[in-house]
Amino acid sequence: MSTVDDQPTDPGTPVEGHGHIVRRGFEDALTATKEDVLRLGSLVENALERAGRALAERDVDLADAVRWDDANVNELQRGINTGITRIIATQGPVARDVRELLALYHAAAELERMGDYAVSIAKLAQQLAAEPETPLLHQIPEMERLCRSQLRAAMRSLVDVSEAEARAVCEGDDELDHLYNAAYEDAVALMEAAPQHARQATHMLFVAHHLERLGDRVTNIGEDVVFLVTGQIEDLNP
Amino acid sequence: MTVEVAPPLAATSEETVEVRPRMTLVARSTADEEVREAKVVFEVQDFSAYYGTFRALRGINLQIREHQVTAIIGPSGCGKSTLLRSFNRMNDLVATAHFEGQVLYHGVDLYAPGVDPVEVRRRIGMVFQKPNPFPKSIYDNVAFGPRVAGFRGSLDELVEASLRRAALWDEVKDKLRTPGTALSGGQQQRLCIARAIAVEPDVILMDEPCSSLDPVATLRIEELMHELKENYSIVIVTHNMQQAARASDVTAFLTMGDDRAGYLVEMAPTQELFTRPGNRLTEDYITGRFG
Repeated sequence: MSTVDDQPTDPGTPVEGHGHIVRRGFEDALTATKEDVLRLGSLVENALERAGRALAERDVDLADAVRWDDANVNELQRGINTGITRIIATQGPVARDVRELLALYHAAAELERMGDYAVSIAKLAQQLAAEPETPLLHQIPEMERLCRSQLRAAMRSLVDVSEAEARAVCEGDDELDHLYNAAYEDAVALMEAAPQHARQATHMLFVAHHLERLGDRVTNIGEDVVFLVTGQIEDLNP
Repeated sequence: MTVEVAPPLAATSEETVEVRPRMTLVARSTADEEVREAKVVFEVQDFSAYYGTFRALRGINLQIREHQVTAIIGPSGCGKSTLLRSFNRMNDLVATAHFEGQVLYHGVDLYAPGVDPVEVRRRIGMVFQKPNPFPKSIYDNVAFGPRVAGFRGSLDELVEASLRRAALWDEVKDKLRTPGTALSGGQQQRLCIARAIAVEPDVILMDEPCSSLDPVATLRIEELMHELKENYSIVIVTHNMQQAARASDVTAFLTMGDDRAGYLVEMAPTQELFTRPGNRLTEDYITGRFG
């Protein structure tokens, strides 16, 4: 793992030229932080994909691996937090610089929480695997794929610092909400039709709920990007 | 074992997650509103300043408001001090200096014929970059202005009140007859502030008041500015952007054009200017990418 802690600690001697100054130490530290946040995003996406697969394939070992690997997510997030705290303490960032650092800090916290949802889904996969087999609610794999594609889009908007991409991510969350509502109705219908499968239906409903919440966390990253670009705090997932 | 699952429902009868219109929460604090609405002390209109043929300031329009700390920031040579000095006609002392436009002080043109520059400087005091106490006792430093102005009340009370307001009284009350120059740099600067206060001004101008002070003395002066604005309006020129961010309510950013004349880029409540500046030039300067 490479966090900004591994970067040179020299705050950077301003390099002058034609009135413009490159704050090399600051820029390097910011770039390293951004790369770490992207790496965190890809760890979480991977955890989510494997949790979804463990669920579909009733693979308790894969679910176990997801649970164990969450430590990497937590460790990387802590490293990012430490690095950002150090940059703020030593570089006195203002304006867009401080907004960007705050956006990255918050995005890292959201990603860590998404990692926890993936772990919760992995645990539910293990519980479901211990029960007599029940077909998965069809919305679940769909929601899981949509969550990952939303997450990728949010991370791209963060890299591109694109307000338009970030807003599109937030719009995309409506689809997840609709799928969740449908999953809810189907889970209730399953419980009514086959009360002996109430436990499985409840587990699946929890999975859908975790995915729906995960989607909300993704939109929070979209809001962070909008804040970074405009300096305004908007609620894009009311 | 297989179980028949209810078919996916094309449309659920009642949506549990409501989709509502998206909204914007623009955080504008009441502090910002107060900063924008306070009474105007100085109104600068189309003000340009020249030293001989050199134009130091070009077309400045801005307002300084009551009971606020207004910081003026900008790169070296952008005319910050020239602007500050135009608020109490200190530039009059430069033979080649001349001006266009107006500086209105409570609606009165400071440069109108008949305005007494001495009275202007009594009402609009100044504290300089380097502490410059007179080579006199602490007491006489503070009493000097009131004596010259023919003050008739109790000088002792006035000296004490001024030193208290300048947060220096407790440190010097037992040595009022010792020379002002024997104090530490930070104390000397507070003595100069007490001296400025003693003639009961309305505005205190500060030109880099902390540039020769250590960080602790600097923070004391900043804290003092915060206390003083209850009774005075303060304008401070500073190279230290963190100081402007910490100590001021409003910040004006000046830079210079190709002709090297300084002009106002942006003036805004400090917390707004340092979080989301409205101009790219301001952003580049305060983030250290232009100098």
